[in-house]
Amino acid sequence: MNRKVGIVSMGYHGFSPVTPDLSFRELVYAAASKAYAKAGIGPGDVDMFICAAEDFCEGYSISDEYCNDQLGAVLKPVHTVSGEYLQAIANAAMIIQSGLGKIVVVESHSKASNIKNMEAIHSFGLDPVFNRSLRVTPHFAAGLEMSRYMTESKATEEHCARIVVKNRTNALSNPNAGHGAIISVADVLASDPVAWPVSRLSIAPRSDGCIVTVLAEESVARSLASEPVWILGTGWATESSTLENRAWGEPVSVDIAAQMAYKEAGITVPSQQIDLFEVDDTYSFKELQALEGLHVVGRGQAAHALDEGRLGPDGDLPTNVSGGSLGVGHLLEATGGQKLLELFLQLTYQAGERQIPDVQVGLAQAWRGVPTTTSAVIIVGNE
Amino acid sequence: MSFLEKHQRNVDLTAFDGKIPVHYRYTLGLAGDKFFTAIKKDGKFVGTHCEECDVIYSPPSVYCERCFASLEDSWVELPSTGTVVAFTVVTEDDQGKELDCPQVIAAIQLDGADNTFVHRICDCCIEDLAIGAHVQAVFKPKKERKGTLDDIEYFEIAAE
Ligand SMILES: [Zn+2]
Repeated sequence: MNRKVGIVSMGYHGFSPVTPDLSFRELVYAAASKAYAKAGIGPGDVDMFICAAEDFCEGYSISDEYCNDQLGAVLKPVHTVSGEYLQAIANAAMIIQSGLGKIVVVESHSKASNIKNMEAIHSFGLDPVFNRSLRVTPHFAAGLEMSRYMTESKATEEHCARIVVKNRTNALSNPNAGHGAIISVADVLASDPVAWPVSRLSIAPRSDGCIVTVLAEESVARSLASEPVWILGTGWATESSTLENRAWGEPVSVDIAAQMAYKEAGITVPSQQIDLFEVDDTYSFKELQALEGLHVVGRGQAAHALDEGRLGPDGDLPTNVSGGSLGVGHLLEATGGQKLLELFLQLTYQAGERQIPDVQVGLAQAWRGVPTTTSAVIIVGNE
Repeated sequence: MSFLEKHQRNVDLTAFDGKIPVHYRYTLGLAGDKFFTAIKKDGKFVGTHCEECDVIYSPPSVYCERCFASLEDSWVELPSTGTVVAFTVVTEDDQGKELDCPQVIAAIQLDGADNTFVHRICDCCIEDLAIGAHVQAVFKPKKERKGTLDDIEYFEIAAE
């Protein structure tokens, strides 16, 4: 129905808890120059550029005006998606599918280490009248969601803690991950109860980094890359922006975004047609909830899949093999970019010791964090 | 590709601190004004009713997010009791600083409403608190009420 869109290359810098040597512009330049070098192009060959960024995280307003020079996008069409990396990827795919551009670049970065009080940014994201005025940690929204999710599913606090253990262990096999560690379920459960049942170690720590993706229309992609990774489906959705009006335990936006992407990709049985999953794990329970929203397992059944070892690197539903955000570090709006990067590396057999054999199709899903209900899904394949 | 020159001594790394001092005035709007005025004057909850969807919103909205109907003229009164749909125990304030004592925050579905209201639960109820618990609002004395969320002290387990 549409033109085929391929990922030609991905360049990245990071991902580590601090980057004291580079400004955010230099961080972007480092990633972009690698992406262009791998694609064998210069920024002059690019038709359009898209950035995903959020002003408060950047430390100034109109941050969209500050994204072009370090990408080589001066005097070029460029726009910012005030949203998740995967939403920017969907925008790039639409531009190429519509014939508006043949080569499109997507960029997003995190210089989270420059933010001195992240809680304040999240608090500013809350409704000032009804929610911010409670004057408590913005993680309360995740605490409410997790408590409800545990009631509606078979998941316990221990299951969620095991997600942390799994992902931080997976991160030990990812040289780009900033937070790999051997920890125990007891460590997670005993960490500060920030917003019970959410504990300190069940919240993804942050990392700095930048990811730049070069996408192209099929014939260009084939000429630039020997093994492009193809975009098979994209989807995104947002629930009510009113906290009070949402279904606290249900991954509604994940479900809608997934259905949109599955329809485009022709996926009817995700657990059999998709080989690996990089899903949101900003909070440990989110990974379990996401797999249910994605219909990879039945509603309430993700904990059971974890019990059976299906979510590990050797399982039949390998999830967050990269280490996820819990192991790599949360990258603000670039988080979905890291998830897509893992799929790209796996599908091009560049994932080193964590390479999953015989991979053809992967799914990335990201969420914009509290207090949002926005999710995006991208499905990619190497055939 | 990328940089050839890199900092090799961390004493060469420099940065400076800054902040964004911006101030706002937040408008309660038609719905918020009516909701908080009812609490302040009468110690009551009000909501809006969408007949088309048969949904009651409290906290209210003057439009229905499901069918887009105007709900400006469809106000209903609700009791000050409700059911705990979800709850969390927080230990930090909105800036990430430790609170003097943990605080319980709950999503409470007021009796008759279809959405939830997010507020505090009294510390004294923490032992008996569970999802599904029936709670009631404790309002501040009338002369202390200012038309804000804090006009409700907290919710506590309802006396049945
Ligand atoms: Zn309606």
